[in-house]
Amino acid sequence: MPHLDDEIRQLAARRHLPDTHLDRWLSLDEPSRAALMEAAGLLRLRTGQLVVALDLLDEIAVRESVSIASVLARPSLHRLLSAPGSVPERAHAFLDELRAMRFPRLRETTARLEAAIAAMRLPAGIAVLLPRDLASDELTIQLVASDAGELNRLIDLLVEKRAELSRILSMIGGGDEV
Amino acid sequence: MKFELDTLVVEEASRDSALAARLVAALGSSVPVSYVADAREAVRPTPGPDPFGAGKRRMVVLKRHTPFLMACPAGSAKFACCGYLVLVLASNCPMDCSYCFLQEHVANNPAFQIYSNYADSFEELDRLSRSAPGRHFRVGTGELADSLAMDSVTGLSKDLIEFVRDREHLTLELKTKTDEIGNLLQTDPRGRVIVSWTLSPEAVWKSSEHRTASPSARIAAARAVLDAGYRVGFHLDPIIAYEGAEKDYAHLIDELLDVITPGRISFLSMGSLRMTPGLRSAARRRFPHDPMLLGEEVPGHDGRLRAFSALRVRLYRIIQQRLARAGRPVPAYLCMETSTVHERVFGVAPANPATIGERLALG
Ligand code: SF4
Repeated sequence: MPHLDDEIRQLAARRHLPDTHLDRWLSLDEPSRAALMEAAGLLRLRTGQLVVALDLLDEIAVRESVSIASVLARPSLHRLLSAPGSVPERAHAFLDELRAMRFPRLRETTARLEAAIAAMRLPAGIAVLLPRDLASDELTIQLVASDAGELNRLIDLLVEKRAELSRILSMIGGGDEV
Repeated sequence: MKFELDTLVVEEASRDSALAARLVAALGSSVPVSYVADAREAVRPTPGPDPFGAGKRRMVVLKRHTPFLMACPAGSAKFACCGYLVLVLASNCPMDCSYCFLQEHVANNPAFQIYSNYADSFEELDRLSRSAPGRHFRVGTGELADSLAMDSVTGLSKDLIEFVRDREHLTLELKTKTDEIGNLLQTDPRGRVIVSWTLSPEAVWKSSEHRTASPSARIAAARAVLDAGYRVGFHLDPIIAYEGAEKDYAHLIDELLDVITPGRISFLSMGSLRMTPGLRSAARRRFPHDPMLLGEEVPGHDGRLRAFSALRVRLYRIIQQRLARAGRPVPAYLCMETSTVHERVFGVAPANPATIGERLALG
């Protein structure tokens, strides 16, 4: 498909895509090359976004033993190509969806933990922060108070929520609920 | 098991060694043999698409000029460790696991090196024992190489076993992914030798552990050496948290315990797959289609990528629960995990490394 490959090369040159990534793109099967070209054009992916998309797509395809074209044809991704809304927002959502596909259990676990934190209905002065990428089993609890009365109120509230917080900590550490 | 080599290079200073003689006699008719004054060039990467893979097929016999004995590279004050000491008798290995840390660790000197003056290590071991009278040490040869991969031609295991079997303060650990046990079955270890196998489910073996013995063959080999008077241990390391891993690891434990009763297992270590970003890049370059290298790993405090905490701890716990069901306890420990993770898995804090090492050495 010389015409498609020329288009890919031209886009890569405009975006200063690293040679390694261009080579990887050109080495894909034809439907995958074309599908990625379509996504890159419709979402106007910038260099960094294109690099990340190529990496994620490649990894998803290897993990699931499928082609990149079939990943890009999934409704959750395909919808974003032509959905209303700003192009940069759709490009951002596209990469986010790719990340969710690449790390499905991490996404699911994070969502469950975030739901458990939200269910505690903590006031604005208390923030319960999950470890980045759930890489460790440490929960950070942040209190913001500007006077002693407010601080005491937040601490009392935290003590009340001890059981829920312990449950969250256990979930982060691989407790049975995860 | 037979491994293909492209060439055998012998450094002149090792030409008259017993090891070189054994290797030339065993391989000389099938592999070109050359002699070089200085082997430094021969151990370096050669140009080509896969210098590391080519290094595995270039065996170099040379003298080691640095100490043979070192602390386990996985050891750290941050982790719950097992106090293992490493005896470096060779570097690199003829098998090819996609996740192998050697791809990064010996990238600049990837030839499959075997040290002709390995007997000098015996003096180091005696010095170590003299330095701490009354202490027991567990020393293994399987860190920078597989302990048994070429044993049918090197015969190293026989010399090592003969050395340790009269030394009550030493326990030798031979660590392997092969079923290369011919020499072991002809040698009486007098209880001083543990042979340990790294075990993985079939899915990991097929996808990632190229040229290794199958998991069933490893378990059968373990049973055979057990019956011949050796102690046996197992490493579930790396544990890979792929989709379906929980069922597969539970099945692997069942398969193991069907063949070897829990009371006869000296130890079982567990460690999840961990890769530095450099190793991951090297491994992905060499094995771009292996899904096992693409789990849900995230960077941790030490910069290494591991499956996120909840996922890997859950897998450890499932394995530990399976072991606990076995009736008699299997001495299990974690490799390169924090004390907190250890407590979450076993319900107790880990002992200090020296204590664990000594306990494992004593059996
Ligand atoms: S058997 Fe061990 S040393 Fe050999 S390639 Fe596999 S992990 Fe590396």
